[in-house]
Amino acid sequence: MENVEKKLREEAKGLLAEKKVDVVVGYEKGTLPLTATPCFITTPEEADRLVWNPFCVLNLAKFVHDLLDQHHEAQKRVKPEARRKRVVGVVARGCTSRSLVIHLQEKQYGKDEIVILGVPCGGYLDGKKLAALAGGEEVREGALDEGKIVVKTMSGERQAALTGLLADNCLVCRFNRPVIADIQTGEVPPVAEAEREYDPVTAFENLPPEERWTYFEKEMAKCIRCYACRNVCPSCYCRICFAEQSQPRWVDIGADPSDTQLFQLMRIYHMVGRCVDCGSCTAVCPMGVDLRKFLKKLDKDAFTMFGHRAGVSLEEPAPLSAYRETDREDFIFEPGKKSEA
Amino acid sequence: MTDKESAKEWEPKIVAIVCNWCTYAGADLAGISRIQYPPNVRIIRVPCTGRINPFYIMRALHEGADGVLVSGCHPGECHYITGNLTARRKFAALKSFLGYIGLEGDRTLFTWVSASEGDRFAQVIRGVTDAVRALGPARKLVKRM
Repeated sequence: MENVEKKLREEAKGLLAEKKVDVVVGYEKGTLPLTATPCFITTPEEADRLVWNPFCVLNLAKFVHDLLDQHHEAQKRVKPEARRKRVVGVVARGCTSRSLVIHLQEKQYGKDEIVILGVPCGGYLDGKKLAALAGGEEVREGALDEGKIVVKTMSGERQAALTGLLADNCLVCRFNRPVIADIQTGEVPPVAEAEREYDPVTAFENLPPEERWTYFEKEMAKCIRCYACRNVCPSCYCRICFAEQSQPRWVDIGADPSDTQLFQLMRIYHMVGRCVDCGSCTAVCPMGVDLRKFLKKLDKDAFTMFGHRAGVSLEEPAPLSAYRETDREDFIFEPGKKSEA
Repeated sequence: MTDKESAKEWEPKIVAIVCNWCTYAGADLAGISRIQYPPNVRIIRVPCTGRINPFYIMRALHEGADGVLVSGCHPGECHYITGNLTARRKFAALKSFLGYIGLEGDRTLFTWVSASEGDRFAQVIRGVTDAVRALGPARKLVKRM
């Protein structure tokens, strides 16, 4: 990882010095122990702030979209001859690169507007698992030492293997290397245990419907509608989100639990074939809603029904904007025939 | 809620979102041919099933519909060539997902009825009404306040 970080800084420095990019979106050391935070590097001197370690959590594709979207909007108010292109460099792991692919497919910006600094990824540290390790206490100091996480709290020192603290989505990730990259730094680590990817979904599917509904109700009851999941999601980039739209008003903001359920249902449904399972939404959720249980189902369906994995190739269209004559029809209602429940 | 539950004469309320070119014409044919079918459906006509935002279905359930039926042209017969083929994918994913969170499968139904199938339209409505009646009043996802 040390080498990757060094190489990353060099590459970023080079790109900025040669004016090939206007800004590099990456991670820097966070203000709290064992954290990293997204940062924007605009001068070669600043490039030394960049870090790459298992504390880098959020999907940076979101920031790329935001920066470029704002730039496109601002350019509309500039005389045509004075318009300029803005190029964003981005530190991208597997899931970030898949989100970038989705943006490119959905024509949010051109390939010439981004420079992808691919980094190998071995998964990131799950904040909630870390909090559990610290026993809910404040982490005073922390260190990553040869695959071991050591945390110091008021009551003492605890340690655990990093592999046990990785986020759930990282444990079954099959994209440790970026699917597209302009510059690839570092060696690509072996693929994690991807065969068990859909196990939790299958287990949930096998529960009786009432139990599933109770779980859905319980999880959604936690949601406080802060929209952090939407704000952090790279696939949620609509200028006006349906949640705040007033004509038509899709979802009410009342205290009724069904309003929240409907909001979550609608947001999650947007992710058919678009969720890259980066885990950002679950990482930022202040209430610990198990969003992944539901998002992963759409991922599974997109794969089993349409053979599509989100953001894997630039050529393959999004599953809901394409069709095949032979798409499944078993859900179609036929009068007189008992439909599967 | 109490009205709906206690009333012995509870009748299912079904929203049928149908396409202008096939199913709506099919419904028309059923009417012209004086074929009887249950009056529990409220038909909403849209240009094409491809025009149906899946939010319509979720929103209908939220507003208290006991069942939602979506019907359009048979695959390959869409007035807009491929509208129903893309719709088919959307609905496959939606139905699967609603089932996953624990909604009864028969609350959301999808079918194809062409303009010449007045008889089939009546059969579909009978079938859907029976299926939804068997489930009883909708409780999940329904707005109470």
